[in-house]
Amino acid sequence: MNTDDDVKQFVTGVVSLQKDPSRAVVIAISHDAVFDLKEEQEPKAPAAASGVLNPGPGFPFVKAVQRVNEKLVEKNPNETLLFDVILLSSKDRPKSQSEVANSIKHYGLEITRLCFCNNENFTSVLRSNKVKLFLSTNTDYITKAQDTGVPAALLYGQRGTATLDQLRVLFIGDSLGFSEDTTDRPKDEDTGEDQLQSVQLTQSSLEDLVALIGEMRRKFGRENSPLCACLMTVCSPRNVCVRALKRLRAWGLEVDEAFCLAGAPQSRLLAHIQPHILYDHGLQYTLDVPALS
Amino acid sequence: MSLDSRQAVATHDGRADASVAANGDSKGSWGDTEDSYGHSGPVNKPKSGAVRRARKVEGGIFFPKPENAVTIAVSSRVLFRTETEQKVFEERGVEEYLKYQVEHENEPFAPGPAFPFVKALETVNSQLRELYPDSEELFDIVLVTYNHAHVGVRLINTINYHNLFIERFCMTGGSSPIGYLKAYHTNLYLSADAEKVREALAEGIAAATMFTPEKLIEVSDTQLRVAFDGDAVLFSDESERIFKTHGLDKFFEHEKEHENKLLDHGPLKGFLEALGKLQKKFYEKGHRLDCPIRTYLVTARSAASSGIRALKTLRAWGLETDEALFLAGAPKGPMLEKIRPHIYFDDQMFHVEGAAEMGTIAAHVPYGIAQKHPHKKDSSKSK
Repeated sequence: MNTDDDVKQFVTGVVSLQKDPSRAVVIAISHDAVFDLKEEQEPKAPAAASGVLNPGPGFPFVKAVQRVNEKLVEKNPNETLLFDVILLSSKDRPKSQSEVANSIKHYGLEITRLCFCNNENFTSVLRSNKVKLFLSTNTDYITKAQDTGVPAALLYGQRGTATLDQLRVLFIGDSLGFSEDTTDRPKDEDTGEDQLQSVQLTQSSLEDLVALIGEMRRKFGRENSPLCACLMTVCSPRNVCVRALKRLRAWGLEVDEAFCLAGAPQSRLLAHIQPHILYDHGLQYTLDVPALS
Repeated sequence: MSLDSRQAVATHDGRADASVAANGDSKGSWGDTEDSYGHSGPVNKPKSGAVRRARKVEGGIFFPKPENAVTIAVSSRVLFRTETEQKVFEERGVEEYLKYQVEHENEPFAPGPAFPFVKALETVNSQLRELYPDSEELFDIVLVTYNHAHVGVRLINTINYHNLFIERFCMTGGSSPIGYLKAYHTNLYLSADAEKVREALAEGIAAATMFTPEKLIEVSDTQLRVAFDGDAVLFSDESERIFKTHGLDKFFEHEKEHENKLLDHGPLKGFLEALGKLQKKFYEKGHRLDCPIRTYLVTARSAASSGIRALKTLRAWGLETDEALFLAGAPKGPMLEKIRPHIYFDDQMFHVEGAAEMGTIAAHVPYGIAQKHPHKKDSSKSK
């Protein structure tokens, strides 16, 4: 790994709540999901100020995460289990880097690191930064990350309607609910050995992530929590959903909301649930999800 | 391809279902063998299409698309008896309540007031499947509860225990279920919470509040029977308004004058319509006399006078009930006791309570003028 590629820019002037980097739940998100970088198109709204970018689909997520951190610290000023959001950016857009740094400060975002990478080294950048969760609107990158064992989820974007007050995380549980022996998994020609291995690899990192989210969730009561975990099964019968519930519970997370669709169309339900992020291994069950509205 | 390029997930946006094809033509992966959950698939269908990307449920079970089915949403408190747990919630708060539920996770709940109704819907479904194996025009029962997902395990364990055919559920963790009702194209919502029912009615969804009665008389297990009050249930409350403000004589006068003017529709008209559509499917296969769905109009109107307008309205709407009982003001209890519906809808709590006293499963539709001027029970009458 060429360390030149893994360049971090520390954003100055941003106050960080992090007390202990080893305990931080690092979430990496592409900078063009947090800010609207499209220069080619008509800007949707005039820029907030000169040199500052407009919010992108991942912006509400960042704000919601920040609120969780604030509430955690409110409960315990020495809290070490906090979210740590880092941005990923490719190097070939130097102009946007300063705009990103300015925008972070302008919106008061708690982001202290901007990591540069390209197609080739992006997964090693994730690993070296101990990223626990990678978020994107790009399904290729999500799959790439998942294949190398880093849990990755889809940013669910309904621009303008996502809440900033509560971080909402949705797990698609159809594969979580299958029993240990794979006989009741859907039989498919392309479930090769590699596929199964990557599933197992990501599964153990997913377990870690779920345990951490569960730990954070337990610090708040059932009502008015700044963090809400949801489970949805898309095309499985009810018992698969129950098994998924129990599995998440075994890993340390009691979800707040559960939905068993059993084949009912997803998009209307999702539009109502309004998760910020949607975790679905292999993206097999989220075919009609609009990533961007 | 740089990190900056975005690639939206294919936005089929509802038209993804086109790949699963229209009603009846879907080529899912269901077969005719029993799956591990003990449900047998209804039809012999060849396996075709990609299994992994199939929108149909794995394991050989076929579920209708919500817009094609008659969707009935029931809350956990009406499907099952949860009084003990309710008490824990009211006396000790939500955290204790959830702990209690999890501790008793493997104890199934007893059947609640909506249980016989749901069982009857399933009976109709199995007969519909036999006659029309490819059709999605079935009853689809969805459990919609604002319970937290902690209670989910116990609820599903109970569904399994009672062998109910409910595969879809929404546990909203405390937020309003109304948006989910709309997302599921709900045709009827049954809940123990009058506030939620009122909200649903305000959104144009047929809804009624159910109460757990002291005793329940036996109902048929071969024929679904649904009974409706007329005014403010099938019809609007316009005539009731006249009655409440100007009295009985004025009411009769008004009805006579407007005999040929159609009444406006009430909140349950759509549900009667949905039942009628399913009934026609049985008639078309020669099951008119022994149709497993039977509907009743039970109204205080009189056959000879005010009832005429009701009948004319139904006819103009292309609807009919199998039986129309005009009680001319007589108490409804005894008549309902004879009919033994799986559910009876009335807008007046007085009638709902009266029916429940005699063991009839009655549901209150909190709609119209009767909610502001409830009928006072005449203390001189004994029952």
